[in-house]
Amino acid sequence: MRNLLFNLMISMLSGIFICLILFPLFALFTATSWSELAGQFKSPLIVSAIIISFQTSLTVVLAALVLGVPMAYLLATKKFPGKEILDTLVDLPICMPPLVVGLALLLLLGGESKFGAFLSGRGVDLIFSRPGIIMAQLFVAGPFLIKSSRQAFEAINENVTKASSSLGASEFHTFRKVLLPLARNGIYAGMVMTWARALGEFGATSMVAGCIPGKTETMTLAIFGYAMSGEMGSSIAIAMLLIVFSFTSLLVFKSRIRKQLPSTQRI
Amino acid sequence: MDIALRQISKSYDGRPVLENLDLDVAAGEFHVLLGPSGGGKTTMVSVIAGLTKADIGSVLIGGRDVSLLPPGRRKVGLVFQDYALFPHLDVFDNIAYGLRVRKLREAKIAQKLKYYLEKTGLEKEKHTFPHQLSGGQKQRVALLRTLVTEPEVLLLDEPMSSLDVLTREQISAELVNIHRKTELTTIYVTHNQAEAFSLGDRISVLHNGKIEQIETPEELFYHPKTEFVARFVGINNILKAKVAATNRYEAVMEINNEGLSQAFMLRAKNYPVFKKGEEINLCLHPEKIDLSKKNEARDNGGNRICGKIAERTNHGNVFKVTIDIGGLALHAVIPKSLFNFQVYEDVWVDFAPDALHPLCGRRCREPEFSRKCHNISSPELVGVCRTDA
Ligand SMILES: Nc1ncnc2c1ncn2[C@@H]1O[C@H](COP(=O)(O)OP(=O)(O)OP(=O)(O)O)[C@@H](O)[C@H]1O
Ligand SMILES: [Mg+2]
Repeated sequence: MRNLLFNLMISMLSGIFICLILFPLFALFTATSWSELAGQFKSPLIVSAIIISFQTSLTVVLAALVLGVPMAYLLATKKFPGKEILDTLVDLPICMPPLVVGLALLLLLGGESKFGAFLSGRGVDLIFSRPGIIMAQLFVAGPFLIKSSRQAFEAINENVTKASSSLGASEFHTFRKVLLPLARNGIYAGMVMTWARALGEFGATSMVAGCIPGKTETMTLAIFGYAMSGEMGSSIAIAMLLIVFSFTSLLVFKSRIRKQLPSTQRI
Repeated sequence: MDIALRQISKSYDGRPVLENLDLDVAAGEFHVLLGPSGGGKTTMVSVIAGLTKADIGSVLIGGRDVSLLPPGRRKVGLVFQDYALFPHLDVFDNIAYGLRVRKLREAKIAQKLKYYLEKTGLEKEKHTFPHQLSGGQKQRVALLRTLVTEPEVLLLDEPMSSLDVLTREQISAELVNIHRKTELTTIYVTHNQAEAFSLGDRISVLHNGKIEQIETPEELFYHPKTEFVARFVGINNILKAKVAATNRYEAVMEINNEGLSQAFMLRAKNYPVFKKGEEINLCLHPEKIDLSKKNEARDNGGNRICGKIAERTNHGNVFKVTIDIGGLALHAVIPKSLFNFQVYEDVWVDFAPDALHPLCGRRCREPEFSRKCHNISSPELVGVCRTDA
């Protein structure tokens, strides 16, 4: 009897949370008709926003992979002075308001700063450009990949690493042949999360991108822009697309991981 | 290759695990490192393998100081306590790992592994993954993975602690076989004294970060030098005695353990350490005790004390019997066929004078080589103290 009550409570509370997710989505998906929706995707500005979003977010994933996996390895396997500080620093972007990130980047890269002036003197303009968007998104979304890969590295049995070096492997060989394959799922998870976060990034991007339609306007910026100017149809169309992308990529990823787990990760 | 540890110390967070540890293992020896859980056995082998850095001290292999060499260049093969197989590689790739690191040609690897896999009966499993293997199979894969790299020294960290008795016997026979063929210097780590006695050429007992005694199994069993070693090898009768009198062959000892309602006298074989009036610990081997009914008078010229059976536990072909002797619990191991008593029955406890021998090491603190029996300075006399005669 007591168990029944407890389980009822659990189900109810979870139910409330599910509603919280489902109702807004429902509102979004019923706000427009399919034919109107199809029409929206003929607009070249919307198509370009989609392309820009994909270009930048996928580049962010690649950059996070190249820069973040080494950082994750460092944090997971090495001991060094100042590790705590580095660790906190890497986590900081997750809890920093994206607008603040954007502001900081603006100050660093803008024409008024020394660094910005130095760069634009060499023909590199990071403000109001795609590289600037990529930087902003990387700042905000990169830590997800680091966190997830780090956890994956840490979950590997230390003796397995030791066995590899005892068998004569160099650290790099061990990293390539043992740690990377074993941390693979964690790294993939980090990539998916980073991608989803980069795709949905708004605050930081809006500060450095400057919403130049067709040039620096990402999907999220376009949603905001259209909504503000009263073009709800366009706004809704892009929003729906964003959700469909995130949902399916998460779903595909999760089922893939579940299928793989038994053969590789357990011992 | 012989192995030598010199003054190895290691602590974790200020807590010492190994303290000024010295150890010499001769080339070709099968050496057993015996010690309780958490005693630092794994730490010690991983120091030898180069996977843990000692705070101070050096490791010599074949006379060469390898302390600064990375693990891969020490030619030390280590089989991990938890096997540490690569979970993402199948049996073949696990075993081939070390050979691939050495850049052997695939054809050569395949040829080499075929031989080993057939010999160990793992041929059928070569494409299975570690999580699909039984404990014994994992053990074999881990051992093979190390052996194919042809190490000069083999370290086995509790290789059988998670196997059933039959598999254990099988694998230990294989190990002995391998050792006989390769004459590979081996350090075998275990907390199981039975394993130690059946496998070791010599046994060293690790306690509180030090080697408390290094000896052949026979010597260690019949002449433990400290209370810890005695109890660890299963001799749990430690008698606190005072030498009352001695003659050429025998000594009369007054036993006065705590809790004893009345001190009593025992006759023991005389050892040079016995000096009249001295206090010393004696150990009494439980398997050297006979029991007889109280009404059966019998005199074997030995010790005879009266007691009451307090407890009896079943251990396969023997009973372990606890006998209460006026407040002192004495432990005896009696073959089942000779046991016809009831619990709480009064019995005579008989044992010969040579069933008792002195614990002549200073307790626990000194490294083994610097320990001696009390009052004896010349090495011959140390020898006398040790012989069973
Ligand atoms: N990396 C580590 N960090 C901190 N403490 C450690 C570490 N490795 C071992 N210890 C501690 O050192 C002590 C000895 O550990 P070790 O694993 O060497 O013992 P052991 O004799 O192999 O024990 P067991 O029989 O349980 O395997 C333990 O108290 C353990 O908690
Ligand atoms: Mg251990």
